[in-house]
Amino acid sequence: MAEETLLTDDFVRQLINVGEVDILVGLPTHNHAKTIEPVVRAIQAGILKCFPRERTVIINADGGSNDGTPELVTGASIDDVWRASKVYALRTLHAISTRYATTLDSGTALRTILAAADLLRAKVCVLVSPEATTIEPDWVQKLVRPVYYDNFDLVCPLYRRQKSEGALMRNLLYPMTRSMYGYRIHEPYASEFAISGRFATDLLGKEIWTQEWGRMGAEISVTITAITGSYRVCQSFLGTKAQPARNSSDLVSVMRRTVGALFASLDGNFELWSKLSGSQPVPTLDSEPEVIPEGARINRKRLHDMFATGVTNLEPVFRSILSETTLSDLQKIAALGIDEFNYPAELWARTVLEFTASYHKSVINRDHILQALVPLYRGRSLTFLLDDQNGSGENIEIREEALCGEFERLKPYLLEIWGERK
Amino acid sequence: MKREPGWYKDAVVYQVHVRTFYDTNNDGIGDFAGLAQRLDYVQELGVNTIWLMPFFPSPLRDDGYDISDYRSVHPSYGTLEDFKKFLSIAHERGIRVIIEMVLNHTSDQHPWFLESRSSQGNPKRDWYVWSDTDAKYRGTRIIFVDTEMSNWAWDPISKSYYWHRFFSHQPDLNYDNPAVREEMWNVMKFWLEMGIDGFRLDAVPYLIEREGTNCENLPETHAIIRDLRKRVDEQFPGVMLLAEANQWPADLRPYFGDGDEFHMAFHFPLMPRMFMGLRLEDRKPITEILQQTPEIPASCQWCLFLRNHDELTLEMVTDMERDYMYDIYASDKTMRLNLGIRRRLAPLLDNDRRRIELMNGMLMSLPGTPIIYYGDEIGMGDNIYLGDRNGVRTPMQWSGGWNGGFSGADPESLYSPSILNPVYGYQAVNVLSQKRTQHSLLSWMKHIIGIRRSTPVFGSGSIEFLYPANHRVLAFIRQLGKETVLVVNNLSSAAQAVELDLRRYKGNILIEMFGKNIFPRIGDLPYLLTMGPYQFYWFRLRRI
Repeated sequence: MAEETLLTDDFVRQLINVGEVDILVGLPTHNHAKTIEPVVRAIQAGILKCFPRERTVIINADGGSNDGTPELVTGASIDDVWRASKVYALRTLHAISTRYATTLDSGTALRTILAAADLLRAKVCVLVSPEATTIEPDWVQKLVRPVYYDNFDLVCPLYRRQKSEGALMRNLLYPMTRSMYGYRIHEPYASEFAISGRFATDLLGKEIWTQEWGRMGAEISVTITAITGSYRVCQSFLGTKAQPARNSSDLVSVMRRTVGALFASLDGNFELWSKLSGSQPVPTLDSEPEVIPEGARINRKRLHDMFATGVTNLEPVFRSILSETTLSDLQKIAALGIDEFNYPAELWARTVLEFTASYHKSVINRDHILQALVPLYRGRSLTFLLDDQNGSGENIEIREEALCGEFERLKPYLLEIWGERK
Repeated sequence: MKREPGWYKDAVVYQVHVRTFYDTNNDGIGDFAGLAQRLDYVQELGVNTIWLMPFFPSPLRDDGYDISDYRSVHPSYGTLEDFKKFLSIAHERGIRVIIEMVLNHTSDQHPWFLESRSSQGNPKRDWYVWSDTDAKYRGTRIIFVDTEMSNWAWDPISKSYYWHRFFSHQPDLNYDNPAVREEMWNVMKFWLEMGIDGFRLDAVPYLIEREGTNCENLPETHAIIRDLRKRVDEQFPGVMLLAEANQWPADLRPYFGDGDEFHMAFHFPLMPRMFMGLRLEDRKPITEILQQTPEIPASCQWCLFLRNHDELTLEMVTDMERDYMYDIYASDKTMRLNLGIRRRLAPLLDNDRRRIELMNGMLMSLPGTPIIYYGDEIGMGDNIYLGDRNGVRTPMQWSGGWNGGFSGADPESLYSPSILNPVYGYQAVNVLSQKRTQHSLLSWMKHIIGIRRSTPVFGSGSIEFLYPANHRVLAFIRQLGKETVLVVNNLSSAAQAVELDLRRYKGNILIEMFGKNIFPRIGDLPYLLTMGPYQFYWFRLRRI
């Protein structure tokens, strides 16, 4: 009886008042007062405009904000929204908030939202980032429709981004997920996505919440579970995505949540991914160019210094993780001046795969492995940003495709070193 | 169709007589071709097993329970090929088929009996129970008290008496004769090899007679059943044997043996007590009989029913209980037959939809495999002015058209007149109209059957009664593995509040299984529920 319960009594009472819903929009927050209001308004407008007949609820799973975020979510009035949008709400649009835990944990936030979706028998569960300041009302429709009308189980987003943004996705998460799991899902770690009620219920009952990768990166575990469980997945183009400003220490935690979760997922899914080769596209709705190839302000020198210093200072660590050839190749490019600097796709793919195998074998502390990848990733980002500086979005996609090709080509190499003792 | 072990525990059974269901050759009598055509309906209803009443050649003096040929189909219903086709289509749709096997007796027109009675020296003489006197086995009760004066009948041909526990035209076979036992096994094998999934074995307590006993439930009878079961298990694994033994629970228990006799047996005493509990607005009759019901082996199962092709039997109640049942449910003496009431479910419950739902709710949630009698899923009525039990065996009501859609024959030529009155007649109560309405009884039945079949907890789970202070409320917990279901029934015609002690389940929330809405979390205080008249709830307990 002392067993912890995920949902508080008060939250359950609020859910009872809401009752069964068609669409549930989940907002995981923590001190997002600065950004949350326009996000909630856009969601409300999207619901009123496209789903006025549906039973809907916005569920805010808050990690203990002290800036009034929950109050902003629950207090957001739809009056202005419907006046401005010239749409009228047929139904009560519920918005409820719950404090999900005493400690911050995106996995618990997502699980709380999924549990609410399951209990309210939501047909669609949409997740929206509280930092999605560029959200437009039609994002709701673009995420909901494929599940609600076309029976997809997971809708991943496609964004239009500045070239300087989404580098981790383009250089690591997308090519790696694609080569390992065989599906071309461009945003496998999405802060906006939609899932079917069926998939939400199934996810809730899975072991991922107690496994390392599920705890580390709840969002990427959703995508991987969908792929490994043969759920119907599609992509839907949403629009422009602005990346929230982050400092360099954020990158390490992002690495843990994304790359760490992806690496860890490979342990338990070996039987599946080891048999796959190549990749296949997933249905994509409303596809548009994804890159705004405008020049971004890049501190080239800083990135270059971080890479070169990292390669020098972390050499003993790299000796545990990387092959001699790869380390030697890295040292060679670290010695290049900034104008000649180039971290080629093949070397980058080889680097990541050797990190993957070392992570699997836990050659050193797994968190240290992830931290050691950060300076190398900065080097690869520099090449990505510098290459074809004034090129079109199309060129960027060609280079991205080439990088994915390298990952897929080198997958047998990963299998070779996967079980090998160093 | 593969037979998983224990499939019968999670089954929902539909009892039907081929004669009553659908007539394809317009002779006024339902047939196998018609039954096969209507399997769509059976499948849509959600049941997964059909129990077929006797369809063998017979003089039909006891609705087919007087068999004159065990290896064929009555010509009115079609041919053996028609039966095989029906069986095959049923299996394609995932519906199992159980057939009747009347072991105890044959028709007096069966060739075995004709031979047996032809002379005292006939080789088949010993296939039946003969005596020069009607004084043997005096301690044996008469079952059909309204029609039979004795269990012995005089045979003018061979000038001696023959033994019959039922009608005098149904002589009992002599199971002390090994040739009889072997031949009846061969009969069973004949149908098993065709692919049927089980037998309802009729009148099993009466197979053997012994002086100085009541000739029921004798050890020798059990030995015969064990032998049959052994042969079934060895040669046709997965086939289910269902006992028809109208006995008290303690007397019924031996029919399960150590899991080596019957797989299932009807729980006869429960059914009248459900009707009693409803009208008394008191859970006592139900909890009492279930408390007296002994544990049965894990592989075995009770069969539960509300109504069937016979009278609502009141043999397994006390005299006082029987008087009450007659007064409440059969005030018109025409409704009474033998020790029972010959009425269908809907008229018994005054066509009160709430009571019909509550009774079906209990049927589907108490421990056992539920059986639905054809027509009760749409609330068909009866005709108490037809003789014997024929009033509850009238044609299925498919539509409001000619003969209720049962047959294209002249109405006068039907095997039985259809129900025509304005309340229960086929123009008011029929499948077609109920299919069009989301809130019809038929739609509701489909829903509850679907929920019942969505979880094995009702078929295989344990039961624990809660005893809230409000005696009008019957509440119990069904549990299987990690799944727990709370069932709460208001037996009263008025709204009730009830406080349930659910502290053992503290921390769980309740999910109402019909609407799937959530109810508040269980805490330390008694759990308060308010219930409308005859309302019932099924809650799945969930910890989250």
